[in-house]
Amino acid sequence: MTVVLWGMVLALVIPIAVACRPSDVWDRLAAFSSVSSKVALIILVVSVLRDDRMLGLVGAIVLSAGNAGLLLLANLLREVER
Amino acid sequence: MRRLLPLLLSTAFRLALWCLLTSDLSRLNLLIGLVVALLLPRARSRPLPVRLLLKAAGRALLAIPQAYLEALRLIVAPGVVELETSEPATDRALPLLVFLDVFRITLTPFTIVLGLEDGGRRYRIHSLLPAAAPEASEP
Amino acid sequence: MRGSFSDHASLLLLGAGLILWFWGTWPLLGKHSYLRKLHALSVADTLGSSLMLLGLLLRIPGQWPLLTLALVGLIVWNTIFGYVLAACSLPAHPSRRTGQEHTP
Repeated sequence: MTVVLWGMVLALVIPIAVACRPSDVWDRLAAFSSVSSKVALIILVVSVLRDDRMLGLVGAIVLSAGNAGLLLLANLLREVER
Repeated sequence: MRRLLPLLLSTAFRLALWCLLTSDLSRLNLLIGLVVALLLPRARSRPLPVRLLLKAAGRALLAIPQAYLEALRLIVAPGVVELETSEPATDRALPLLVFLDVFRITLTPFTIVLGLEDGGRRYRIHSLLPAAAPEASEP
Repeated sequence: MRGSFSDHASLLLLGAGLILWFWGTWPLLGKHSYLRKLHALSVADTLGSSLMLLGLLLRIPGQWPLLTLALVGLIVWNTIFGYVLAACSLPAHPSRRTGQEHTP
């Protein structure tokens, strides 16, 4: 289980690296969405490891509401670019 | 009855979300959830064709196992081909049906909807197919 | 006996999800086309993460309402987000809704 958790953190590093280096803004946005869902999954796994219901609730809410802001941002960016 | 159906459906959906979120089935909690579900603003309702809706929902659910199969095929494929296609849309008048269609097409890793074209009569689809090994693939 | 079986199954599911994560996130570093990266990301984030959630579900069956909510939210949101990212990133073409577009 700990190995799985470390693997997840390692996978999280990839989109963070992509978001940090200079690249196209859409690439960055995709990387950020990837970061958000990965972090939420990591929160859920940690909550299972610690057997903590509240942490799990936070993870579920982040998972189901976290992408909404990015969605708005994508729409906004399109309007700006046009 | 047909006009009442959207109201019933959306209220039941919200109540189900509330119960899942609180994971508590006591009477008081159900009452609070019902009040919240009724008080939240809702979109303009119009009659729903139940049969079309059920069919679209069934197809969207079927897309989930299919998505895993396609992901496996993508993983083992030696190379991939990108191309753009289009698919006729069922009905543009109902946002829910369009949503279900877009969901079904985008969920599978081979295809992503890029938008509507032709005045909303066709979906524009970008697809990624595993290249067949012996045939010459498109560049 | 049963407990250990579900433990192994959940580890298997978590590992499979992790493999899908790596496979789908790796192309982000490369120089492929943007849409191709999106295809790979949908594999990683939607399919891999839902495998992981199933694995967690085997581990804590008592928390099924929470995990079901997370699963539904994950699948629906990530799929729609992929569509929105793809649709919005297209080079600005005359408004999608009027339908007077020409493919270049």
